[in-house]
Amino acid sequence: MTSPKIVGFICDWSIDIAPLLSGNRLSDLPNVYIIRVPCSGFVRPGWLEDALNQGADGVFVTGCPYGDCLNREGNFLMRDRVDQLQRRLQRRRIDPARMAMLAHGLHDRTEFLSDVQAFSDRLSEIATAKAKPVPSAEPAPAPGGSP
Amino acid sequence: MSIVAAPPSRYGRLMTSLLRVTLRLDTSINKIYPTDFNPLYYTGGLTNLFLFVLVLSGIFLFFYYEASLGAAFESVRYISDVVPYGGIIRGVHRYAADGFIVGVLLHVFRNWFTDRYLFSRDNPWISGMFLLLFGGFIGFTGYQLVWDERAQLLTSMFIAMLRSIPAVGEPLARVFLGGEGIGEGTLVRILFLHIVPASTLYALLWWHYLRLRHPKIWPPGVWVLFVVGIVFLLAGVIPAISGQPAAPASRPTSFPLDVFFLLPFWLLNWLSPGVVVFLSVALFAAGLAVPYFSRRETPARMGVRHAGVAQVIDGNCTGCELCYFDCPYNAIIMVDSPGPGLSKAAANRTLLAVVLESRCVECGICIGACPFEALELPKLMERDVLSHIANAVQPAQI
Repeated sequence: MTSPKIVGFICDWSIDIAPLLSGNRLSDLPNVYIIRVPCSGFVRPGWLEDALNQGADGVFVTGCPYGDCLNREGNFLMRDRVDQLQRRLQRRRIDPARMAMLAHGLHDRTEFLSDVQAFSDRLSEIATAKAKPVPSAEPAPAPGGSP
Repeated sequence: MSIVAAPPSRYGRLMTSLLRVTLRLDTSINKIYPTDFNPLYYTGGLTNLFLFVLVLSGIFLFFYYEASLGAAFESVRYISDVVPYGGIIRGVHRYAADGFIVGVLLHVFRNWFTDRYLFSRDNPWISGMFLLLFGGFIGFTGYQLVWDERAQLLTSMFIAMLRSIPAVGEPLARVFLGGEGIGEGTLVRILFLHIVPASTLYALLWWHYLRLRHPKIWPPGVWVLFVVGIVFLLAGVIPAISGQPAAPASRPTSFPLDVFFLLPFWLLNWLSPGVVVFLSVALFAAGLAVPYFSRRETPARMGVRHAGVAQVIDGNCTGCELCYFDCPYNAIIMVDSPGPGLSKAAANRTLLAVVLESRCVECGICIGACPFEALELPKLMERDVLSHIANAVQPAQI
């Protein structure tokens, strides 16, 4: 199948993203479109839902490591909002694993890329699983973990 | 644009590793305690708790204390030996003070290592430096109030330090002593310099919290019980005692050192008073300068946008207070709505959100909080993000 369409919101203060980009997409994973935001807390949950409704296969938000937000609480707030939104997606029978919250510091480039790769792989699996009628599995835990 | 353009300096690498160690310590303690009970998240709250204990026990001690050369030592002995539970309360006052300083230092280093003083967050750091200065000075005057040999020696050392300051030193010393030498007025002044700065701490704490939304100023209940219990236990097991009574004729040359409060006086073993004063002032000035001279990552180097102060869209605001609760800097206040909004949801509002420009840092957290499209960053509007999303999902590009 084709690689899944992914929209990623990246906090300006988390990953040093500029060297990883070509245009608005990741050089290594051109299926990932990056939107830079001033803080992960800037992202309105409605936008994530919009992206899924408009045809994106997955969306993720990357903030700073938990406890290290420049704006004190931005990444915690965003994690809560993503959790909330995942419950809402579940009610609407959309797989909540299509949404993820990541947390990476300035220099965690490799970890970030491997997380995005894993997210992308999981979306591919979901897509193939959807092609075969199989009862949907438990939602996978979001990568990045919690503090 | 890129931060990696300049290789991080040795200082930068050190601070990055300290940051990682601090965060790793957090996560490892979180495996033992639930997140809400991690004591490292409450260094400030625990300090505030110690301060509260100090104020209560201090009021008790104040009732019995007599601020005069002849009676001070005796009144302290009376508190320890005669007043019911007086010795315990005195010990509580001593050990809570030690806990206070330990908590303050943990708080300072933790927030230093995790960069929580940069840019818009300098306000808590600067006020914190003043809190530290006042806290240390209160501890020092507290040791003098007992008026034993150590107190007498401390006073003369402090006077020597004051006198070593050029020009203003001599008048300052006279003001501190209430005369040319230690006299009847001295202990009254020291008592004043113990209690008034302690009260000032609360005004400084107001400054400390001014730009913080949801500051954690009180530890969880179990920690309150544990800490208060430990302080009382210590006060019972190792009572706080005075040394020999002070006498004008006695010339003590050494005293038991309290590492938490009396470090500058320890330095007097080797350095002249003037040098110690200079070092203290330099240390304080360096503390004030830390937020401005230790920036490893500036917005310009990071390529961070200057998004403009958040703007409330009057017609859409429903007065729901979500942005008010989420703004980490207390930059949004709710005012009585001057009139109904334009949208259907906003028609019956009673409140309106207002952004205080001087406190806004343009982070956009309120935009994420608002479900009614009533907030925008002028240079990164919702329509910009939506057009990005439309670009991202258009089929031609994949």
